[in-house]
Amino acid sequence: MIPTLTTDRLVLRAPEAADFPEFRDYFLSNRAQYTGGPYADARQAWILFAAEIGHWALHGFGMWTVTLNDATPIGLVGCWYPDGWPEKELGWLIWAGYEGQGYASEAATAARAHAYGAFGWPTAVSYIHPDNARSIALAERLGCRRDAQAQPPKPDTLVYRHPAPSEIAA
Amino acid sequence: MIPTLHTKRLTLRAPALRDFDAYATFRASDRASFVGGPNSRSEAWHQFCALLGQWPLRGYGRWIIADTETDAALGTTGLFHPEGWPECEIAWSLFAEGEGRGIAFEAATAARAYAYETLGWSSVISCVAPDNARSIALAQRLGCQFEAPFEHTEYGRLDIWRHPSAEEVTQ
Repeated sequence: MIPTLTTDRLVLRAPEAADFPEFRDYFLSNRAQYTGGPYADARQAWILFAAEIGHWALHGFGMWTVTLNDATPIGLVGCWYPDGWPEKELGWLIWAGYEGQGYASEAATAARAHAYGAFGWPTAVSYIHPDNARSIALAERLGCRRDAQAQPPKPDTLVYRHPAPSEIAA
Repeated sequence: MIPTLHTKRLTLRAPALRDFDAYATFRASDRASFVGGPNSRSEAWHQFCALLGQWPLRGYGRWIIADTETDAALGTTGLFHPEGWPECEIAWSLFAEGEGRGIAFEAATAARAYAYETLGWSSVISCVAPDNARSIALAQRLGCQFEAPFEHTEYGRLDIWRHPSAEEVTQ
């Protein structure tokens, strides 16, 4: 039910139990400071990990585990639309050691194409903490622009709007 | 992939988006105080998604307890096994709408039968806060025996209640 996507260097596939240790380590670390963490214990991380999978069942879309071609998991990228989110979001979480090589951009581009294509989204946003400079840089690299008119999910969050499907196809 | 179970009055089925309001209301209430709450709606969302997500992770999980006649969500029950738990447990949470009619007993009995008959387990526990008198009464009604306390990092002390074994239940 969860589709698998492939890019030149990456595979986006359903999250599975074996991916949990890296997910947990991320959410227990300061890397998660702009994405809801860091968490105090592994139990909270486990609930969120299970939620990533349950999100697929509820919405029909969700976050993929991103792996290198040799199957090493490097993060979670994809579609996120929890209760209270004003719009459907494209999000990315990259594990320590896999930044700076364009993986997040490559995975998010594939996820966005699938959201616009198979999932039929007419638009997409990414919600980013104003201090999360790396994420802002990635959003800009993906062609996103600040949308000051759009409602953020939390008062201190910036809304970056992705290029529309027609702009990407052009 | 999530099986549906039927009892006399109830349907145990996969959680669906239409159940979320009832679940979030429960999670925001004092009724959730023995299960880590009360929780914000966004916390409840993660917990709700995790009800579903545990199924592919573990191969078993929890259901929405629905009134067979109306499909209204009355609570959750099933096989709950998060990180940090001593072993898998039969968990139950009743929403306010489900209280006082033996709903939890009927649903938990079906969940236990599923564990024993379909999954082939021989033994199972339930974890109950020591001051949760209603849940303790239900555990006893289900034939559970107090086994031991354990200390959870977030919930504090929880007591392990051991259900009658598969053999004992089928006798």
